Amino acid sequence: MSTPEFHLVLPTRGGPAPAPLPSFVTDLRPGAFGPLEHLAEIGRAADVAGFHGVLTPFDPGGEESLVVTAGLLRQNRWLRGIAGFHPGIATPVYAAKVSASLQRFSGDRLDWRLTVDLDPAVARSQGDFLEGADRYVRADEFLTIAKGVWHEEDYTYEGRYFQVLAGGFQGPLAGRAFPRVLLSGTSTEALELSAEHADVHLFGLGDDLDAGIAELSELSVGRGPTPAFGLRLPVLVREDRAEAEAEARRRGDDAPAGLFGSYGEVADTIRAHLSRGVTVFVLEAEPGVEETYRLGEHLLPLFTEEYTHAD
Amino acid sequence: MPIDIYWRIGTHGDQSSLRRRETSRGDWTPLAPGGITPGVRGGRPDGYTHLDHMADVARASELSGFVGGLLPSFPFTDDPWAAAASLARETTTYRFMIAYQPGFLHPVQAARMSATLQRATGGRTVYNVISGGGGPPQLWWGDKVDHDDRYARTSEFLDVLKGVWDGGPFDYDGRFYRVAGAGLPEPLAGQPFPEIYFSGSSPAAIAAAGRHADYYLSWLEPFEALAAKFAQVREHTEAIGRSPKFAVRIDVLARETEQAAWAEIERGWRHVDPAALRGPEASGDSVGWLRGQSFVNWPVSRPRDLEAAPNVWGGFHLLRGGPAFGLVGSYEQVAARLDELIALGVDSFVLAGVPHLEEAHRVGEHVLPLLRHHDLRDHSPLAAPSLATPSLTAVKGTV
Repeated sequence: MSTPEFHLVLPTRGGPAPAPLPSFVTDLRPGAFGPLEHLAEIGRAADVAGFHGVLTPFDPGGEESLVVTAGLLRQNRWLRGIAGFHPGIATPVYAAKVSASLQRFSGDRLDWRLTVDLDPAVARSQGDFLEGADRYVRADEFLTIAKGVWHEEDYTYEGRYFQVLAGGFQGPLAGRAFPRVLLSGTSTEALELSAEHADVHLFGLGDDLDAGIAELSELSVGRGPTPAFGLRLPVLVREDRAEAEAEARRRGDDAPAGLFGSYGEVADTIRAHLSRGVTVFVLEAEPGVEETYRLGEHLLPLFTEEYTHAD
Repeated sequence: MPIDIYWRIGTHGDQSSLRRRETSRGDWTPLAPGGITPGVRGGRPDGYTHLDHMADVARASELSGFVGGLLPSFPFTDDPWAAAASLARETTTYRFMIAYQPGFLHPVQAARMSATLQRATGGRTVYNVISGGGGPPQLWWGDKVDHDDRYARTSEFLDVLKGVWDGGPFDYDGRFYRVAGAGLPEPLAGQPFPEIYFSGSSPAAIAAAGRHADYYLSWLEPFEALAAKFAQVREHTEAIGRSPKFAVRIDVLARETEQAAWAEIERGWRHVDPAALRGPEASGDSVGWLRGQSFVNWPVSRPRDLEAAPNVWGGFHLLRGGPAFGLVGSYEQVAARLDELIALGVDSFVLAGVPHLEEAHRVGEHVLPLLRHHDLRDHSPLAAPSLATPSLTAVKGTV
């Protein structure tokens, strides 16, 4: 059985402001900490708890992912940083250039989570008026050019959306690992794009996992390595099922979706996914730091042992 | 009005001095003993990266009295956004002046990155908006827009960036950009907008600067030429009711005595390629570069042939990559020249020196404390530059 990778989704919309202390209690916090401290704390927790990485999603309502990811990569030793963005944010050359520096600074720990099918109104608010299947054509050009200037010294490409003439990175900017590319979607265009470019294809809770895996595997034949398959889903896990249910009720959610139950039950579910071919698990867990430590101490070790035995 | 003094940070490594044009800091030359970031331990790279050296320079700068540093952006450099975001939490007061070309990023994305960086740094983001001339053709970067159009695009870019900054909804329908219902979300919106340092020497640049620049940033030129350039910018901007401040980017080689400073230049001069002394070569479509080269009577044979005005030396590009003009002299002379520039109306400096780490400490300790602009200012407005202008030897007109 394959070794699973575990990543955490960062809550980039922030949380509620901490409750003020009574006025007669000394409070040293005001002015001492910036608004990104909490994200930094969760990132550090993920690193020390043994997660492979953290996903900073593309979210027009949240913090910008490349800036957040750069900080987390710098402050942590092992953590991979998955930065979410869409192909309209920059020229592919510039996205690659920023990423080349981050790979140099971090020892190749940056990944890209490219979102292609934004809601049209959201896209327009980001200055992007492209709709429909054309978005996949543009995403293909974006990734083709980004990889082209990354790997070749004299690179020219004349596309519908992007162009580059005699481009290509040189010197120490060249030769780093290209960021792993995470894509998603179940349409034919999305799967075609993944067959061409993805290192990991991420499915969501509502997706038909087996059909998607089968179709993408078929599309990948003759086009290089088949992408790894990933699953993004929420997790609520406790020592036993009753405790997990009590916590769910406390949160006002009687039937939580995703990974839910005791450590053993959730591990069984993960093993079932592993046997279907899913190896990358992108988990949503709140609150961040507490659940990160919990998962690192109680769930992740169940798979570390398997890995050791298998060897 | 206080003077903001920045210290450049090298985004493509650094030399250990101006004596030899060898980049021993950063990995732009092969790994070798004596190299730093990465260094060598037991024959292997030690795991440090160029970012670790940049972090040292940033900390040296903030400890030495500089408000921050300019992070340049060229095809061969590390990226300023990546560096600033990485170093946000290990600096305290350091302002990151990020050089970037508007065409490469969408303005909504630039707004999002800037807002998150403002939150990560407590408002220490500054822009150096450049619109081209960065070495190879723009198409290396994947940018098809030609020279004058790039400034029109820069104007639109900043219109959109400012339009979304405080929230929204913001609509825009321009030649280069279109957005509908745009605006930064609640926690990101409404922070202090980064100060804009605007570069560009062409008429198109100066016209665009008028609308958006907080500071008009120029490379150093002989002071009379610089004053004329500032007057031109002022003329353009007054017409539309704006009044940007002025900033100058200056390399500094300052030593205890004038002799020691020139002796340091002489040591580097021995290694200059004789072909470079015949005259300048064109570089991209930068008007500023051509203009700088026009202040010198080429060919030259000795270092001081390039001294276009007292202490104003146009040969730095022969000893390290970058612009030609800087100040060479004793601590007192360099401080006096900076004072004269302040008297001419300069409000901010972006200083630099090789090596950036040690020279940040030197200039911070020995030059900055000698500044006495309050004695000179107010007596010498920009409109009357003759008061404090040193004699000029080689102003050969402007491009």
